[in-house]
Amino acid sequence: MSAPLPEVVLGGVPVAPPAGGARRAGASTWRAYRRQPLGMAALVLLGLLVLVAVAGPWVVPAPASYGTDVLVAPGAGYLFGTDALGRDVLAEVVHGTRQSVLVAAAASAIAIVVGTLVAVVGAYVPWLDAVVSVVVDLTLSLPVLPLMILVAALAGPSTTTLVLVVAAFSWPEVTRLVRSQALTVVGLAYVDAARLMTRDHAWIIGRHVVPAVTPVIVVSVVVTASRAVLSAAGLAFLGLGDPTSWSWGRILYEAQSAGAMVSAWWLTLFPSLAILALVLSATLVSIAYNDARNPRTAGPA
Amino acid sequence: MSIAAFAARRLGRGVLTVWFAVTVTFLLLRLLPGDPALAVSSPTQTEATRALLLTQYGLDKPLVEQYLLYLAQLLQGNLGTSFTQSVPVLDVLLVRLPWTVLLTFSALVLTVLVGVPLGVLAASRRGGFLDKAVQVFGVTGQSLFVPSIGVLLLFVAGLELRWAPIGGAYSEGTYGGQWYLSVLHHLVLPCLSLTLVQLGSYVLTLRATLVDALADDYVVLARANGLSERRILWKHALRNALLPATTLIGLQLGFLVGGAVLTETVFAYPGVGRGIYEAVTQLDFPVLQGAFLMLALTVVLANTVTDLVYGWLDPRVKAS
Amino acid sequence: MAGLERPARRAVIVGGLGGLSAAAIAACAPSAPEEPAGGEEGASSAGTETLTIATTTDVVNFNPVVGNSRSDQWVTGLMYPRLLTIAGDGTKEAELATEWGYVDPTTGYYEIRGDFAWSDGTPLTAGDVAWTLNAVKRDAPSGTFYGQLAEFVQATAVSDTRVEFTMTAPNSSLVDEIGFWGCVVPRHVFEPAGSIADFANDGSGGGWVSAGPYVLTAVQAGQSYTLERVAKYPLVEGGVPVAAKVVYRVFPDVNTEILALRSGEADVIANALPPAQVEQLRGTDGLAVQEATGLGYAHMVYNMDNPDLAKTEVRQALARAADYEAIRQVALSGQAVSTGSSPLMPVLARYHDPSITEYPFDPDASRALLQRAGYTADADGMFGLSFRLIYSLQDSVTSQWAQMVKDSSAQAGIEIRLQGSERNTYLAQTNDGDYDVYAGNFAIMDDPVLNFSLSYLPGGAINYTNVDDPALNELIAQGARATDLDEKVAVFREAAKLVHEQVYDNIMYTQNLFFAHSDEWSGFISRPSELLSIINPVSVASATKSAS
Repeated sequence: MSAPLPEVVLGGVPVAPPAGGARRAGASTWRAYRRQPLGMAALVLLGLLVLVAVAGPWVVPAPASYGTDVLVAPGAGYLFGTDALGRDVLAEVVHGTRQSVLVAAAASAIAIVVGTLVAVVGAYVPWLDAVVSVVVDLTLSLPVLPLMILVAALAGPSTTTLVLVVAAFSWPEVTRLVRSQALTVVGLAYVDAARLMTRDHAWIIGRHVVPAVTPVIVVSVVVTASRAVLSAAGLAFLGLGDPTSWSWGRILYEAQSAGAMVSAWWLTLFPSLAILALVLSATLVSIAYNDARNPRTAGPA
Repeated sequence: MSIAAFAARRLGRGVLTVWFAVTVTFLLLRLLPGDPALAVSSPTQTEATRALLLTQYGLDKPLVEQYLLYLAQLLQGNLGTSFTQSVPVLDVLLVRLPWTVLLTFSALVLTVLVGVPLGVLAASRRGGFLDKAVQVFGVTGQSLFVPSIGVLLLFVAGLELRWAPIGGAYSEGTYGGQWYLSVLHHLVLPCLSLTLVQLGSYVLTLRATLVDALADDYVVLARANGLSERRILWKHALRNALLPATTLIGLQLGFLVGGAVLTETVFAYPGVGRGIYEAVTQLDFPVLQGAFLMLALTVVLANTVTDLVYGWLDPRVKAS
Repeated sequence: MAGLERPARRAVIVGGLGGLSAAAIAACAPSAPEEPAGGEEGASSAGTETLTIATTTDVVNFNPVVGNSRSDQWVTGLMYPRLLTIAGDGTKEAELATEWGYVDPTTGYYEIRGDFAWSDGTPLTAGDVAWTLNAVKRDAPSGTFYGQLAEFVQATAVSDTRVEFTMTAPNSSLVDEIGFWGCVVPRHVFEPAGSIADFANDGSGGGWVSAGPYVLTAVQAGQSYTLERVAKYPLVEGGVPVAAKVVYRVFPDVNTEILALRSGEADVIANALPPAQVEQLRGTDGLAVQEATGLGYAHMVYNMDNPDLAKTEVRQALARAADYEAIRQVALSGQAVSTGSSPLMPVLARYHDPSITEYPFDPDASRALLQRAGYTADADGMFGLSFRLIYSLQDSVTSQWAQMVKDSSAQAGIEIRLQGSERNTYLAQTNDGDYDVYAGNFAIMDDPVLNFSLSYLPGGAINYTNVDDPALNELIAQGARATDLDEKVAVFREAAKLVHEQVYDNIMYTQNLFFAHSDEWSGFISRPSELLSIINPVSVASATKSAS
């Protein structure tokens, strides 16, 4: 469904200064971010999509179970046209946005929490790190998509399955990225100093290690979420999505199984555009965020 | 570390990776619900026939015994017999593997051929319009939903313009040179759509590392020595920048070989990815186990080659 | 890379590995097929054209007694003849067999044609027929064929053209059913291979041997199956199949399949068109759409192991809480006929009883029935009844109407929880009785004796209701024994009435099937069901491409 996302999106994030300077760094990053028109446009688009996901379903009524105007092309009556059962495609896309964003958010949240926890603890406890690194490498070498298909097919399609499957195969990537960052931090003098001051390891991790890896996490969230969107859509397209709630993948799957992807192009176009918009804006935001934190990659400003 | 120790470690890692993939697959298949006997038989089948089938498949034995038997067979190079096709798993997979290899490798080659100039272009104009354009193009390709773009390509290039055939890997009834031309002709659209999807991450990685490399001391030194910007870019910086991009390709290979399911479905391409999907729908355990074993082997091979290419490309290793 | 300091060694390894992977790729690369030698003998009516048929699934197994998927049946159907075929009203017609019937109540017979031969020259005799039947009975392959042999004992070839077989009990449908669902395989090829259940028949032992109009010559799994014309096929006009070659091509995505038909890469689509595409393709230049009668039905079944569903009123209430007409109009684009909520569909003209009429869609009547059964509605009008309805996600039409059933049931105060699953999960749930309401369909329900026995007798393989009604059991037994058709019809109409009243089954419609082909081809002979449709062996062998 999606190729692994570029290292660049995560690479080159400088190690944040210890806690105190974080806010100042955040403000300067935001100033740098605002100067990037592309990044701002992407951020606005992303914001709009989230808005649709949150508020859309209150504005646009849920798609009916069937209607009388079957396969009407987009026009005045139906902005996005209707499908083979006469349902309003606009309503399907709007309600699908909520589900798609939800899956993306939930899957990436789980992946991030698990991935970060494993990475940070691993980096902090040397003997665990060896185990973590082997497990992560092994998991990363598994063929992700075929395994997702296998698990989704056997475990039964539902939103929960989708979220768990995507999360289960995304956390190692997060661990790998966060781990390399965390290892640098743990090696730094101020963490050593902290270790001398307290035996409360959780405090050290929470106070020093986690803030330092936050930029990587922020970017990981976006990357994992956008990958989750593509994976969920792909699984739904293969008939392994949740059949009872609307998602972009389900609209595409129904168009596919009705053989209508070409003749009723609006069934294909609008959900595909929605997927494109979400993944594109999320990725551009993360690139712009990186450029803002590390002006060198952005080039002469 | 001696070269022997290095090789041994590599081999150990490889074996561990393959074992892990095989075990995960084995357990997933048996612990998740799904009954292969039901998948192959007609609904009018009696309970006794079902039980008989399960015995034939060896699925009535305790899990541990099944697992040990499976590993023992595997060590002897026996991948088992397909539940549904009654032929050895290796035969089932070897018919499909060549097409997947052809598709993924041609897409990789095309990605590098297109990706390197684009990456260099973006890095050399960083911050400019062309840079942004390349970035947006790359990210857009990455964000496309494969089946939609596939159907669009088929409709435009296949049906309306008649530039490319619709579906399949070659035309029936072509032989010799004609056949090879037909294979190439059928490869165009699926290869194009795969390339479009994976190009973005390659170009972006290349661009970022090139930008880094261009700021490195030795580039500054080279500039001071009066070397032309073009020579610096293409010869010195690119050499360094190719490293992470190469690693990325190595990582992608595993994704690609199994991950072309959607591409193969839409373009009716007879590859392994589609084969896996079909084996899932038929609950053909031995074929699935065999397929995942092969994918794991591909990943191991790819990672090894990547490591070696890495060592070969890295000037610092060379210098020491 | 600490171990790789020595450049010379490294170069060797890189070179070696590079070479190795290059060799591996070269070994993996597809290799060109070899050109077959020689031309072929021409016959007057025989053409030189290739008929390309598109399908969405691969052939899984080339052994016709094992293969279960559509493509398996279509491709092997061109090689292994059936004894009988089926007419539009469900009655059986001659194919390989010319006469069939009963010697005595427990002995059946088939008289077969003497002019069939296998493509390797061996004549097809009653010996092949008897051997196939006995081997399938002995080895229990997993396909549909074996399922028909429960009451079959043994077959004997009494002459080169006559087979007789014995059965455990009198059964007036067995000869018909075995004749239709069974096929004949070449004994001289299959017998040496051992168990007929394990024989892959993948052509690895020197190709295939056929007694149909075409014989497989090349297979590219996932892409295409090439069949070539045999010298003689007695069932087609002129005795020789018209098209020189038939190529089955696999298009997993139906959208690609339709594009291929429109572009001319495929001439026929073998699978029934999605309902919404029929009008679309009918109006497309260069294409023709042909209808085939449906011989099956779609139904909902209420699991009587559930204490609520065990009550007749609850089942009757559910039956009145679905708008069948709307389902047929919307989910099937009007391409379906009502069965009158009876298992004796109109297509079974001899059996159908027009006095049984469809359950009306009447939520108020449902509510009345529930109140009479002692249920009371809460403030929201819901009766506190909640049922889980299962269906297969691979079945797109059912997926669509399941949602409609859920909505209309809510109007009657009954909650339906939809659980669509991947096909295998669905099969497992069905097998375990893990559902309240089952939604699904059967492609061919041609014979009342068989269908009623399997669906409504205790222990029947598709008795998803878990019904055990002594009155119904007795009627079915009586019908199976009956040899007089009028008596049989009367008994089954009685049984159908009982099923209808008690809602032991809720049969919703028979789908009309439509198939698309290029209008350059004509001469197809349509037969009922997706299994036979316009790609049954005689139809494929008769199809002619117009000179353009």
